[in-house]
Amino acid sequence: MSSPAGGAERRTFTPDFLTELFRNPLDPGYADAAARKARGEGPTGGRQRALAAITALTLVALGFLLVIAYQQTVADEPEATKARDALIQQVQKRRSDTDVLQARADRLGDEVAQLREAELGGAAVARLRDLEAQTGLAPVRGSGARITIGDGPTPINPVTGNRSTEARVRDSDLQLAANALWAAGAEAIAVNGQRLTATSTIRQAGEAILVDFQPVTTPYTIMAIGPGKLAGSFREGYAGKFFRELVSRYGMSFDAASAKDFTLDAATELKLRVAVVPTTPPPSGSPSPGSGSTEPSDSPSNSPSKGGR
Amino acid sequence: MIAVLALVAGVVLGIVFHPTVPPALQPYLPIAVVAALDAVSGGVRAKLDGIFDDKQFVVSFIANVVVAALIVYLGDQLGVGGQLSTGVVVVLGVRIFGNVAAIRRHLFRA
Repeated sequence: MSSPAGGAERRTFTPDFLTELFRNPLDPGYADAAARKARGEGPTGGRQRALAAITALTLVALGFLLVIAYQQTVADEPEATKARDALIQQVQKRRSDTDVLQARADRLGDEVAQLREAELGGAAVARLRDLEAQTGLAPVRGSGARITIGDGPTPINPVTGNRSTEARVRDSDLQLAANALWAAGAEAIAVNGQRLTATSTIRQAGEAILVDFQPVTTPYTIMAIGPGKLAGSFREGYAGKFFRELVSRYGMSFDAASAKDFTLDAATELKLRVAVVPTTPPPSGSPSPGSGSTEPSDSPSNSPSKGGR
Repeated sequence: MIAVLALVAGVVLGIVFHPTVPPALQPYLPIAVVAALDAVSGGVRAKLDGIFDDKQFVVSFIANVVVAALIVYLGDQLGVGGQLSTGVVVVLGVRIFGNVAAIRRHLFRA
């Protein structure tokens, strides 16, 4: 038995660093000290007690160190999340503030409209209502089309880890849809409830699409009030072809259907940019020269969208 | 027993005084803790082996912490900073693991 063992020993190479580490993680100093003690050379009496006291002190220092490190880590970690939480809270607070202010603006707008109706005569009020409905300043009710566009699948590239975003709906897609609807005779359009006016913007900001600076997300529902064949002409027109192409190529969802009797809210924001005092003081039917808004389609007054207020 | 009491006393002291670590020392703290854990696991193992030695423990604790901090400092100065610290953590981690395995064998006979 001894000769094979001896042979094995001769073949053993000096263990490399890691093997040595794994095999013998204990400080050899302990074994040395034990050997010294066994030989009777170890410290005795007072020296022994002093050393024990120092060990205790070391352990105190160790506990101290552990607590400091723990507190440091705990203090470091939430620093980032704290800032994030604060930002999120700010965003939410601002958002609710905006909602409150918007509600107040709506209420005051209603009040103004009521006062105006009380002051002005019937014909002027009717004209105002028509203009407001056309420009998006007043809520309108009617029938038309419901266009639904949704993002396609956005798989994560297994190599780069980036999310593919080419199947996302872009701002230009929504712009195209809105413009096609206007062209097909729509009189009022809302994207996810955001009423479009002549000066509305549909823009991309990073991954979000903003309609008049309000974020909208997929699926995008575009409600449009217009002639009965609106959905059909949208589907058959260039926009329909474009979106069908997107569906077949990227897997987006697209649907255009007629919708009956729905209400579109007024636009949230329409800034008065130009105001001119009419040269003819009495508002007796003459068109006001300085109307700030430019209606894209000069829709006739016998449209189904009038008088929704 | 005294050792555990001393450890608890240290923890209590840390909680009571709640010291703030100066920013210059902050990078050394985690690695110092790892080095201290290495010394402690070695000490516990030696205790269970019956060969614990106060002097050895104190010296290995202080030396470990100082050397670990020194290596981090050196890494910073050489511009290899994190990588040298990683090396230290790996070595100490392996040692801690081995010692804890030995302690486990002592405690559970397995």
